[in-house]
Amino acid sequence: MKSKKYDGVTIFLFLLPALLLFVGILVAPMASSAINSFYQYKGFGQKTWLGWDNYKRLFNKDFPAYIPFKDSVVHALLLAGFSVFIQLPLALGLALLLGRGIKGERFFLSVNFLPVLISTVVIGQLWLKIFDPRGLLNSLLRLVGYLKEGDDNIQWLAEGQGKLLYSCFIPMLWQYVGYHMLLMYAGVKSVPTELREAAKIDGATDWQVDRFVVIPSMKQIVKVSVIFAITGSLKSYDLIRIIAMNLSTKDASVPSTILMDYMTLRGEYGVASAVAVLLILLCFFFAILISTIFKERD
Amino acid sequence: MKKFLAMLLAIVAVLGLSACTKDDGLTMWCIATKSDSNRHSYEEAIKEMEKKYPDTKLNWEAIENETYKQKIKAAVAGDNMPDIFFTWSCAFLGDFVKEDKVYCLDDAYKGFADKLPEKMCKNTTYNGKKYGVPLTMNIVGLFANMDILKEVGYDKVPGSYTELIECCDKLVAAGKIPFGCAGKETWCVTEYLESIIEKSIGAKALDDIFCNGATWDNPDVAKAVTIFQDMIDKKYFDPDGVSLGNDAVKQNFIDGKYAFYMNGTWNCADFSQKGPKNCQVAEFPVIDDSKAKLGQLIGGPSDTLAVAKSAKDAENTAKYTFELGQLICKYGYLDGCGLPAWTVDYDASSVNELTRSVADIVAKSDYMVLFGDTAMPSDEAGKYLEQVALVYTKQVDGAGFIAALKAAIR
Repeated sequence: MKSKKYDGVTIFLFLLPALLLFVGILVAPMASSAINSFYQYKGFGQKTWLGWDNYKRLFNKDFPAYIPFKDSVVHALLLAGFSVFIQLPLALGLALLLGRGIKGERFFLSVNFLPVLISTVVIGQLWLKIFDPRGLLNSLLRLVGYLKEGDDNIQWLAEGQGKLLYSCFIPMLWQYVGYHMLLMYAGVKSVPTELREAAKIDGATDWQVDRFVVIPSMKQIVKVSVIFAITGSLKSYDLIRIIAMNLSTKDASVPSTILMDYMTLRGEYGVASAVAVLLILLCFFFAILISTIFKERD
Repeated sequence: MKKFLAMLLAIVAVLGLSACTKDDGLTMWCIATKSDSNRHSYEEAIKEMEKKYPDTKLNWEAIENETYKQKIKAAVAGDNMPDIFFTWSCAFLGDFVKEDKVYCLDDAYKGFADKLPEKMCKNTTYNGKKYGVPLTMNIVGLFANMDILKEVGYDKVPGSYTELIECCDKLVAAGKIPFGCAGKETWCVTEYLESIIEKSIGAKALDDIFCNGATWDNPDVAKAVTIFQDMIDKKYFDPDGVSLGNDAVKQNFIDGKYAFYMNGTWNCADFSQKGPKNCQVAEFPVIDDSKAKLGQLIGGPSDTLAVAKSAKDAENTAKYTFELGQLICKYGYLDGCGLPAWTVDYDASSVNELTRSVADIVAKSDYMVLFGDTAMPSDEAGKYLEQVALVYTKQVDGAGFIAALKAAIR
């Protein structure tokens, strides 16, 4: 009995550093955000209790200086949709192709993974050059005759013209194809060779081997990728900040830009905290939802 | 071995603690990062102060503008402020003063009153007490590329609004772009819009809206917004401007792609050095002379140094800050980064021509309205900038602009 108690203390002591880190770095700031979200708070000075007003403010159009939080969630979900239905299939396709052991496998793997290694700031700057009014894309459109002499440049980066959101999405989707590809490639490679060979002996084509042997075996990896893609889309900020160049962007707003807008431009930490809390809840909700969907399929 | 390691760790920990508590001079935070045009003036001023006060070490740190706003607010919240800190005047410093975090400079000012005119401290005076040391001051100027204007028959900057419009029409007809404005940085749009509003409704009316609680629900403001949007419709503005940041637009002006560029007079140094070759600066012309007149400007002293209430030996730190501020102002003026808020008692013959023109404009002025986003508290400024951005991309018209600001602010 004494020994068990002693073991318990030892286990607790061993867990303590990780627990302290977890509480200090994750739980405490989240709790602090949750508390601040019920106050009117400038980041310093007095806090005034507001109850649910900061949350109501995010959804109530009649509130003065309403920023459409709902639109930002729609944008983030749209990005998640693109990510799941365009980025992941592309990554899966590349992973399956490379997993077949084609010539130059390592080289193509590195090339596709390269954008993940490049700093987001650099990627943002590169795409800004592409989308610039006098940049590569418009020059190309002039070259192929889509834009005629005297036509105004297409404003890919301007607010209010319906293109900015997609100008932000394209680099984001492009940058992380390699990341998901690498995850899935590991999954493809973990499928035992015997299974592939057995299917081949039974007369399966490469596509049939992928469809009926490889893909079902890597379900867990696909699940992880889907969770990363959706939560990553909800949390997206850096590339949008660089490409939209403006925190107050309406066309390309996502929850994080609204959070930063409230915090840095308006000095309203209470509302910013409410956005942070909703963002955390949304990420948890989707992570659980995806796990449940995959479980049901099992 | 274990004992030795334990001793070593203990010594390191004790040394670390002692380093934290060691008093090693004054601390200062500012925004004069290496790419900032004011960097040189800070460096020179600090060098001179170190020579004069060799026993006082100034540990200074420069932080990028937006990050700085967060950092200083966090420091105020955590009672962890540097002894001296850079701040913007009016509402930004006012928030800290309200929280009783800033040292009152009234006593220290007495020793510098002959060099620093009282009116320059107006924007950092709260309840009759002074809290800031002004550095340089700037206004919004209408910069003109005279070589381009010459091509359409002008040898001076159009002095009246009608003349300016005629000039713009001629420029458009000649295939030239009159104005460049960076839509990606809303403060650049305010430089145009605020000047147009001021010269339509008068400086006092605009000042009342920005600082004295007057309502935004003013039909003359709506009319001014319409004037600005008409100028956009008439292709007076580079259509690519909506997708560009200020650096790109400024470079286009330097490269001779625009005839005019409205922006802060801190650009004088750059335009003098980099071009356009034949550049002049003027005041935006009067639009409605029954309400506005020449000599009413947008700008004024805003860049400021302040002393934290928690500063070591606050009274002496305050005196040190006045001296430092005076030197930063001096070198900033000599570099062409703005006009001096302090009396000029040194040889300023090396100051560039453009800055001297700005000094003439300011000397003739009788009313300055501080930049809207500086004058207003941050929550109001955020709402204001959001609507200004919508005006430039024509997502809101004059009536919508005043209605939105009336609902959001007043």
